[in-house]
Amino acid sequence: MKPVAITGLGCISALGNNIADNWAALARGASAIEPLSGFEETGLKVATAAQVRNYSPEAHFPPAQLGLLDRHSQFALVAAREAVKNAGLEAADLAASAAIIGTGCGGKETDEITYQKLYQEQKPRVHPFTIPRGMPSAASSQVSMELGIRGPCFTLSSACASSNHAVAQAALMIRSGMVEVAIAGGADAPFTYGLLKSWEALRVLSPDTCRPFSADRRGLVLGEGAGIVVLESLDHARRRGAAIHALVSGIGMSADACHITDPSREGAARAMQAALDDAALPPEDVAYINAHGTATQQNDPSETAAIREVFGDHADKLLVSSTKSMHGHALGAAGAIELIATVLSLAEGVIPPTANFTAPGENCNLDYTPNEPVERKYEHALSNSFAFGGLNAVLAVSRFAQ
Amino acid sequence: MKKDIEQTLKESIARQKMLAVEEISLDSSLEELGVTSLDAISLVFDIEDQYGVEVPNEELKKLRTVRDIVEGVDQLLTAQA
Repeated sequence: MKPVAITGLGCISALGNNIADNWAALARGASAIEPLSGFEETGLKVATAAQVRNYSPEAHFPPAQLGLLDRHSQFALVAAREAVKNAGLEAADLAASAAIIGTGCGGKETDEITYQKLYQEQKPRVHPFTIPRGMPSAASSQVSMELGIRGPCFTLSSACASSNHAVAQAALMIRSGMVEVAIAGGADAPFTYGLLKSWEALRVLSPDTCRPFSADRRGLVLGEGAGIVVLESLDHARRRGAAIHALVSGIGMSADACHITDPSREGAARAMQAALDDAALPPEDVAYINAHGTATQQNDPSETAAIREVFGDHADKLLVSSTKSMHGHALGAAGAIELIATVLSLAEGVIPPTANFTAPGENCNLDYTPNEPVERKYEHALSNSFAFGGLNAVLAVSRFAQ
Repeated sequence: MKKDIEQTLKESIARQKMLAVEEISLDSSLEELGVTSLDAISLVFDIEDQYGVEVPNEELKKLRTVRDIVEGVDQLLTAQA
């Protein structure tokens, strides 16, 4: 089996508009959750959010291109550009590569603008870019066009596990020998009135902040952005002398086949076990888990029980954290943003904490790295994503001995 | 009216293709300006929106120059009035 290297990272989230700013915030446990902005006087109950700030689309895109870019496509491009630059890829490498982009929401911003014009303003026509800008696969096409990626390219959607599934799919393509290089990750931009009302209706949003695994947790806080990684076969990365951040050593996927919103301990445990088996890693070798950790009532004890089931006694030695406490729940981008956090944690020897932690919740009995980062040199980590509808994807990340 | 339409259209094309308005003349061919079929649909949309007309699909296919669009919209407006 061909080992898969991670050679490029790109990220835009509430923590910052590039990798350096994201990691600086993660490494000191700084939460980017703030009062929701842009929806004043709408009567929304949603009070807080992890929104991308200090971002001007015009600074990144010329007007002609911008007209065709939904906000989530913009994020995908910003992160993809950074990842490709970070990897130092040449045009020829890109031409033969794959691009798999995950998204939970797709072009909802575009759709909502359209519906507002039609249904509310009673306009007789909608903008001709509505389809190409809003189609769920738009971000993949835009990334392909701008970077000259001519290999397998598509969008993948599995709600909050979308980008982990995208990275898994890309890594499997490299293992199979189909491609040597793949750009993978996810992007989402869920801050639209309709989506916020829809999340509100589900009654899973926190009225204040995101406190994963805490007794007084009150739900998730929505985030937005994109995370993109460059994956390469280890051979290819070595041939061109690329810096290798880490290896994607294991992939574990499962479905709960259970409920459209409730998580399943058993399904999550099977995904983690599958990732360990795929990496041929004994549980004792894992030091850190970047948890799904949404801070909903249901997820946190269920994920904790799943970790205990898979890791047995070693569970008490694990450091676990939910970085959603800092960058919010970026839905289809969450897995990639968290994978990047995990890769940088491994590279830098710093475990990013679970911010906003107060006291452990009922049946939340692991070391969640509360509030303060922990310095720890280690070799292997897991990054968990468990989506609504029971679609689970776990990635094992390992240090590469240069 | 024709002058207005011409000015609006030239400004739209200039914005879309990042050109100076002066670089665009009535006889400029849309193809030479780099106006693709999707661009043309979007230009016509701007004009439809502003002048409250509707350019039929068959007419759209015939547009080759800036003048074609200006004349076409002007005729639609005259027919409406």
